[in-house]
Order: sequence, then C-alpha cells, then structure tokens
Amino acid sequence: MTKMTRILTVDDSASMRALLNHALSTSGFDVAQADDGQSALEWLQLNEVDVVITDINMPRLDGFGLIEALRGGTRHRDRPILVLTTESSDEKKNRARQMGATGWIVKPFDAAKLVAAVRRVAH
Amino acid sequence: MASAPFTPATTRITVMQGQARVSAGPRVELSTVLGSCVATCLFDPEEQVGGMNHFLLAEPPAGGAGVDEHYGVYLMELLINEMLANGAAKHRLRAHLYGGANLYPGMEAIGTANALFARNFLARERITLVREDMGGNAARRVDFRPASGMVRCRTVANTLAHDERPSLRPVVSSGEVELF
Repeated sequence: MTKMTRILTVDDSASMRALLNHALSTSGFDVAQADDGQSALEWLQLNEVDVVITDINMPRLDGFGLIEALRGGTRHRDRPILVLTTESSDEKKNRARQMGATGWIVKPFDAAKLVAAVRRVAH
Repeated sequence: MASAPFTPATTRITVMQGQARVSAGPRVELSTVLGSCVATCLFDPEEQVGGMNHFLLAEPPAGGAGVDEHYGVYLMELLINEMLANGAAKHRLRAHLYGGANLYPGMEAIGTANALFARNFLARERITLVREDMGGNAARRVDFRPASGMVRCRTVANTLAHDERPSLRPVVSSGEVELF
C-alpha cells in the first residue's frame, strides 16, 4: 500500500487553514495543521511529515523563525518547506530562500498549482 | 497680521473592490462605496494604524479551483497581514464592518451572505467587532481615518455602488509558485 504524503500546514488564520485542509485533503494528502510557528515546532518534535507549508506573518514564531529552527536542527534539515504568503516583496522572498525555504507561493493560492508544487517537492 | 495655521490637506484613498489598504498617516482617509460588498475596517489603538478591505463575495464554492481577490477569505487575510506588517498586534485589533446590503429585491441575497461571513470570520479569528452597519437595501459610503480609528458611514444612492460585479482588473500572480 502506498503511504500517503503527509503535509503540515502552518497558518494563524483559521479560515485559511480550513481552505488549505480542503484543497489538500481532497487531493489525497494527509493533512496536519498548526496555528503558528511555535505550535509547528512542538508538533514536529513528535511527528514525521513529508512537506511543510508555512505562512510568514504569525504570532509567537513567524515563518522565518520556523524555517530557521528547522534548518538549524538535524531532524528536519532537508524537509521541503513551501512558504505560502500574501507577502510579495522580493526582499522577503530572497530572505526565505537564503534561510533554506524550498519554494514561495503567493496567496491567493490556486489549489491546482499548490497541489502540483507539493507533489513536486515531496520526497 | 497673524497668518492662518497651515493645515495639510487630507489624502483620500479609494479602496476598490478586491483591495486592502493600510496606513498610519494622520491625514489619510480610506473611502469606499458599498452595495452588497462588505468593507472591514481594522484599527490598532496602541499603534494608531488602521486598514480597510472591500470584498465582493465571501468564500469560493465548495470544490472551487481556489481563492482569488474577489473573496473575503483572502482579503481578510491580506488586511490582517498588512496590519501586522505595519506594527499592529492581532490581539489589539478592533473591527468595524459595513455594507452587505441587498440592493435589488428578488435577487440572491449576496449581501446577507457577505455579512454573515464577515461576522463569523472575526469571531473565528478572535478579533473584536466594535461596530457594524450592515444589511438593509441601501448603498453605503464609508470614510475611515486609519490613524485615529474614526469612521463615518452614511447611506448613498444605490447608483453610486459599482461593486455588484467582479472587477475586470486582472489577477496579478495569483497562486504563482516559485521553487528555489
């Protein structure tokens, strides 16, 4: 039996989490969700995941902080991390790239493009 | 003879359907005219920054291809993120909601659905709603001073509300994916 690709989405907006959950789960992914970077880190200490999709602007720990923490450790150093954000500035995109993000997706997201990107980066 | 004090002019920014604007400028006024559309005004009293969005529809239909700039669920997110990027804190945000009228009897009550969505969104996000003026069958004009949080909302002729159809503005880089 083929193992389902497991995705962790990290977003402080409950509405956006619901939209992401619908878009990804109906495409056959196993979806877990966290409401900020800190919650994501705590969840990732205990769970395995194939791809992380994270927002940037979040309370407690933002998306940049999450990427930095994951890339600074050993367990999730090579985990694909897609940034999904309303931010469109090149400065922030380049910052995410330098910190080790795998890709950058601008909201509003297109479900088909998002799913294609996840399939492409999932190991 | 003493000269009159210089008073800088107000800069009025029209918030069109599908847009969100944030400012801390003391002379800035964000304005819009609404029919069935809803505008959300957010204000952080400590940081003295505010913003307004203007959305046409609440959420995409189930199974829809995705979210674009016509939908409240995107424009709410955009507005909140712009507020946070300008120094606001989510727990301090205070919200006003305007619009959501049903201008034409017998047509689908899009305004009612928009109003319901906006209230539910704020409740889900735990953002305090301090004032709303929604529903009815008249268009509204909203003028919002983002640095002070002051709002004026008045009814206007329905012919002034041009927001009943999606704007023809092309979607800019909607959902574009860049893999590094």
